[in-house]
Amino acid sequence: MNVTINKQDEKTLVTLDGRIDSTNADQFQQDIAPLMEGDAPDIDIDCTNMTYTSSQGLRVFLLLQKSVMARNGKMVMRNMIPRVKEVFDITGFSNIITIV
Amino acid sequence: MKLDMKSEMILEEYHEKLPLFERMKTLVLNLLRDCLDENHILVSGLEARVKTEQSLTGKLELKGYKYHSLEDITDIVGARIITFYSDEVDIISALAEKLFEIDWDNSVDKRKMLEIDRFGYLSLHYVCRIPEALCKDPEMPQLNQFRFELQMRSTLQHVWANMYHDIGYKSDVEIPLEYQRNMTRLAGMLEMADEQFSRIRKEINGYRRTVQSMVANGNFDEVPLNGDTFRGFLKLRPFKNLADKIAAINQGEVYEDNLMPYYNVLLHMNMKTIGDIVRMCNENAESAYQLALLQLAGTGLDIVTYSVALQNLCFVTILKKGYGESELVRMFNLLYGENDYHHQRAKRICEQARKINLI
Repeated sequence: MNVTINKQDEKTLVTLDGRIDSTNADQFQQDIAPLMEGDAPDIDIDCTNMTYTSSQGLRVFLLLQKSVMARNGKMVMRNMIPRVKEVFDITGFSNIITIV
Repeated sequence: MKLDMKSEMILEEYHEKLPLFERMKTLVLNLLRDCLDENHILVSGLEARVKTEQSLTGKLELKGYKYHSLEDITDIVGARIITFYSDEVDIISALAEKLFEIDWDNSVDKRKMLEIDRFGYLSLHYVCRIPEALCKDPEMPQLNQFRFELQMRSTLQHVWANMYHDIGYKSDVEIPLEYQRNMTRLAGMLEMADEQFSRIRKEINGYRRTVQSMVANGNFDEVPLNGDTFRGFLKLRPFKNLADKIAAINQGEVYEDNLMPYYNVLLHMNMKTIGDIVRMCNENAESAYQLALLQLAGTGLDIVTYSVALQNLCFVTILKKGYGESELVRMFNLLYGENDYHHQRAKRICEQARKINLI
């Protein structure tokens, strides 16, 4: 999993590339740790090249979402491939994370 | 206009005591804020200020003859509480009476002062002193020496005061006769609106208590479905068993999320009472579980949201009624806004429903 973080003035653009599973979820959490603090909490995550997420990945997204909301920000995930979107749908995560 | 010597001395003392007044202002604000928090009272506004030199000078120019010393001026520090409803002003004033020492000789309930031929929509003003016990500051032992003014008014009383101030007259008798009638009508309208808001709030609170007790007592068929009753119903954790069972498919956990977004979906599904939701749950829980089993078994996904239970219940109910893909898409549109992906998701759920002979 490659994580690219591009901080802009008012929001942060994140690009995910690859799969998130038990082998790299901890690393993924460390990679995005800088996004869990700061005054510009809005995050836009491009998932075009994210090929899969396990429940460990879902938990990291949940942590990030909580951190963003605690700072009155908004997190949006976009361009998910159907296979990844299905994971969010069948676990109910589509109900708590904004996916466009 | 030049101030007389006594007024000049008052102004000089004001300058010397400014740090004390600033400290008083902060202390009064903190005391009021803590008191409101402790009593769980939400207010529309809480503010305080120290009178500016310009304002004090103006006061001394106009009424300097009334004051012998700075202590005679009771509004150097002023605080204001703006309530949402007019009947809350009395609650706030009762709390203020407990919190501060009230100088009753100088406190006025302007709400009761209006003569029949005068207009206005005014507030309650108390002249107060911080009790000695609440201001133990060795650096500023005089915090208790000066009085301050506390204004308490409703939001609409505040609107009146602001607009009246903007018009620029100091008293109603100054206003030209031809405008007095319209001002009186307006004041009456605001007073009536304040009373109506208070009345409506009391009625809504009474209604909420009634339906909450109906929900708690299990009289679900008698409880109409609305935002209040659905919220009250959710407190009973009606979908917990199903959510736990779905999470157990992969020995997982349930993440507690908010189910209120489903309120509009349930309305759209023509649910009229809480009893309709209970019936949906009783009749379709097993099918909703079977659908989740097909979706989750073997995936290793060991976290689901609480809402996934209601989500699957809605899918199953919609499909069993024969509404099909289009109605699922409508449900997704209500929940998430329109998106082309919803058609794909609805199609997939229909395929899964066929596999478990739901349709």
